[in-house]
Amino acid sequence: MVVGDIETGTEVAVVGAGPAGYVAAIRAGQLGLDVTLVEKDAWGGTCLNYGCIPSKALITAADLAHEAGDAEHMGIHADPAVDLSATVDWKDGVVDRLTGGVEKLCKANGVELVEGRAEFADDSRLRVVHGGDGQGAETLVFEHAVVATGSRPIEIPGFDFNDGPVLDSRQALALESVPDRLVVVGAGYIGMELSTAFAKLGSDVTVVEMLEDVLPGYEDDVARVVRERAREVGVDFRFGYTAAGWESTEDGIRVTADPAEEVAADGGTAVDADPDIDTDADAEPIALAADKTMVAVGRQPVTDTLNLEAAGVETDDRGFVETDHRTTTSVDGIHAVGDVAGEPMLAHAGSAEGQVAAEVIAGEPAALDHQAVPAAVFTDPEVGTVGLTAAEAREEGFEPAVGEFPFRSSGRALTTDEDGGFVRIVADEDTGFVLGGQVVGPEASELIAEVGLAVEMGATLEDLASTVHTHPTLSEAVMEAAEHAVGEAIHTLNR
Amino acid sequence: MATREFTLPDVGEGVAEGTLEAWLVSEGDQVSEDQPLAEVETDKALVDVPSPVDGTIERLHAEAGDVVPVGDVIVTFELDAGESGAGTQASSEPEAPADEAGADGSEPEPAPDPDPEPGPAEAPAGGNGTAEAAGSSSSSSGRVFAAPSTRRLARELGVDIAAVEGTGPGGRVTEADVRRAAGDEESSSSGEPATAETAATDTDDGTVTVTAGDDGAARAAERPPGDTVASPAVESANRDRTLAAPATRRVAEEESVDIDAVPAVEQRDGEPFVTADAVREYAEKQRQAQAADATALATGEGETVDTDADTDTDTVAEPELETSDASDASATEREEREPYGGVRRTIGEQMERSKYTAPHVTHHDEVDVTALVETREELKGVAEERGVRLTYVPFVMKACVAALKQFPYLNAQLDEENEEIVTKRYYNLGVATATDAGLMVPVVDGVDRKGLLEVARETNELVEQARDRRIDREKMRGGSFTVTNVGGIGGEYATPIVNYPEVAILALGEVRKKPRVVETDDGDEIRPRHVLPLSLSFDHRVVDGAMGARFTNAVMEYLRNPDLLLLE
Repeated sequence: MVVGDIETGTEVAVVGAGPAGYVAAIRAGQLGLDVTLVEKDAWGGTCLNYGCIPSKALITAADLAHEAGDAEHMGIHADPAVDLSATVDWKDGVVDRLTGGVEKLCKANGVELVEGRAEFADDSRLRVVHGGDGQGAETLVFEHAVVATGSRPIEIPGFDFNDGPVLDSRQALALESVPDRLVVVGAGYIGMELSTAFAKLGSDVTVVEMLEDVLPGYEDDVARVVRERAREVGVDFRFGYTAAGWESTEDGIRVTADPAEEVAADGGTAVDADPDIDTDADAEPIALAADKTMVAVGRQPVTDTLNLEAAGVETDDRGFVETDHRTTTSVDGIHAVGDVAGEPMLAHAGSAEGQVAAEVIAGEPAALDHQAVPAAVFTDPEVGTVGLTAAEAREEGFEPAVGEFPFRSSGRALTTDEDGGFVRIVADEDTGFVLGGQVVGPEASELIAEVGLAVEMGATLEDLASTVHTHPTLSEAVMEAAEHAVGEAIHTLNR
Repeated sequence: MATREFTLPDVGEGVAEGTLEAWLVSEGDQVSEDQPLAEVETDKALVDVPSPVDGTIERLHAEAGDVVPVGDVIVTFELDAGESGAGTQASSEPEAPADEAGADGSEPEPAPDPDPEPGPAEAPAGGNGTAEAAGSSSSSSGRVFAAPSTRRLARELGVDIAAVEGTGPGGRVTEADVRRAAGDEESSSSGEPATAETAATDTDDGTVTVTAGDDGAARAAERPPGDTVASPAVESANRDRTLAAPATRRVAEEESVDIDAVPAVEQRDGEPFVTADAVREYAEKQRQAQAADATALATGEGETVDTDADTDTDTVAEPELETSDASDASATEREEREPYGGVRRTIGEQMERSKYTAPHVTHHDEVDVTALVETREELKGVAEERGVRLTYVPFVMKACVAALKQFPYLNAQLDEENEEIVTKRYYNLGVATATDAGLMVPVVDGVDRKGLLEVARETNELVEQARDRRIDREKMRGGSFTVTNVGGIGGEYATPIVNYPEVAILALGEVRKKPRVVETDDGDEIRPRHVLPLSLSFDHRVVDGAMGARFTNAVMEYLRNPDLLLLE
């Protein structure tokens, strides 16, 4: 034992105060448990400090600037100037309010807050090392532990986040000025959200993506809407390239990229390649001039600081902690929630897991039995998905009934000046049960909530179609899509 | 030791429920796999329900006479040691984990489940009744359609929701289904505390409020009709406002039910909440009650039943069912209610479909069967020697087949969907049989290919099986024409209902000696003759009156001169 170690006991130790960890801690506190929440960096974790919330603040600001400057057709003439450092200050204010709220809520629910980096000493003790010299360490003896250490951006060879011009998403959200030229590596959801935002703020954005399209994992017609809109606001795509490295030049940096291997082998004619996508696959390596480059190629679990071996907690080959449907790890009494416990790496999934973990610890019969976890991408337009796609429904043995409603037929969409995209509802043909939905278009992140409720409740197409929706709103599109699936749509032609 | 809940399997093709006629075992009995546990009457047959496992009967969840929906738990087994791994849905979740944790703070979690999927993966792969019964509410992929609050309730009650059959729209699992699966309604004494606990938890959650009182009402509403014979009053509510899903409202509209009158199964946000299941059940009870009241009216008892101070004698008092508890109460003493289900309802539905689908015409005639009587007398002894009781029916069947060959439209079926008349080249004759449970129609296949004695023997066997309720459902399908012998009981003419989708049915009256004019060489004489009255009903969409008469003539010709059958 290190000199200065103090040993304290707690019923529940939660490691990591992101949306999974702090929710677990608060819920456990509500259930009357003695809870200690350990955080090494900032209350609220990545989501509140460096992820969901700051990015949404930046996106809102970018949208406002862009829309104001692009409204001549509505008779509005403006040329907004963006002071990014002031934008970032405003964003930081929002973040401070939220993280302060988390701290208050934790305390109000009797959660003991401890700052420091926690690692397992064995399967019932955590060692918490406080930041800074001479701050010492303490040992936390727990009956139950909840690991909620989250994830961090993946680094790729040749791009070190410690180097000035190389940014991860967190650093990109804290820039003091808008870079003139930005190369974004990765066209996943983080890459697309920030590419679009910076393009709207005036950056000259080029996205380098190894695959054939934006938003891998989403259906082609969903991705297409996002890709086309990104092009409209000035984003340049280089599909089929992997970023190789960067070097300083006289007036900035030069990012180099090589043709991606698989794509090169195919000669860029992959089966489902969209004709609009120009993969310069058989071309030579390229060099892109830039001022900054942001790498957003995915996130990996934070487990290396935890000394999980000491507790005997097992991880899978990608480093995620393995858990069951009650969030229990391979060690009884130790739970894992949020990104560190694997896909889906979404804040709201983590929160749901955190609640279950707390309830399981309290002896309640809780379990993760959600039918679906919705996901949203805050691109322009937004994407919201929940449950099964038509193809997935078929794979699961359903005969899918699919209904769609394009926003160009929505009065409200036209009056918001955003008529791209559609709502799609996927249901079981036999029973009418809603199995999932895909929304791409204005406010898709909000609209998907209703579809999520329908999936979770076991609602039928008729339930959705027979629920009167407010006019004129975007939500009517959900009703119309359900009506379309049963061949009763009013404002579109039925199949 | 592990327990295993056994649900009523789908004992026939797609039957939804069965009447538990009798238990063949008692609680505490040791049973072996495939040993019959109970006799269950379904739409058309009495079947034995075999035990899926070796074990001890811990608990029987239904009583003889109950109507049990397929998928409801009927038996809890205590499994023999070797069986414990087979299917332990009941024990997969701790029964009362909250209590354990609260009591001593000890580790309440079960050992980590190697399979992260709750529910379906735990269902035995061996394909026993439980797994099959789960079919309609959960897909092959294990997806369960139920509200999150319902899933939570299932976890709290230790019910494997994947094994619960849903009664909501499209087979959605409702809270009531889960409670039923948990055996909550079994006994009020054991059910009440669990309910109170649930109410508290749900209120905590802030989403659903279920009070113990409401649940009591729910249990009454959910109870299978068999339980309510003694108190047949239709329980009605009279609310201003009811919460229900749109699909449920549609059901109410289709059933012509005022949704505010349906007893609320549960409450949501302090408002009464009604499920589609409850609407259907209420509608069903309404129909039964109306039918009973109609009978009462017809027999002159109706007027006194009506207590609505309806002094206007000009108006025919129509019993009001929705809210008049008083009339129901007095009706209780004057009437008796019994569930309309099983064979009775199947007959009813079949008759209704036939009568409302096929425009019926009935043609009557009589035939002098004196020669047939003599022939039968001659052959009876021979048949008896061969162990066959020979009645007139096989002769009539052979005569019908001979006539059907001349008039194929009577051995036909109208395919409404494809708008085609299907004439059949097989002659499978149904023989309508009165049984204690009601009318059944066993079918003798290929009458044209069988000898008279063979037809007689087979007919006797099938009729006997039907009366004993041993008959295989398959033996009551695929008929092309039906003969019904009402004369066995007495009577002359009838207006039988066609056994749809067949197009014709021939009813036989009683063979009686009657004075008839006979032409002799000495002129007309009145002599005692054996006469058989015939009534042929047919579907006028396919067969016109002239053809019906000609067919009857042909049948009569064979019955008048049974020797002609030798030529067939």
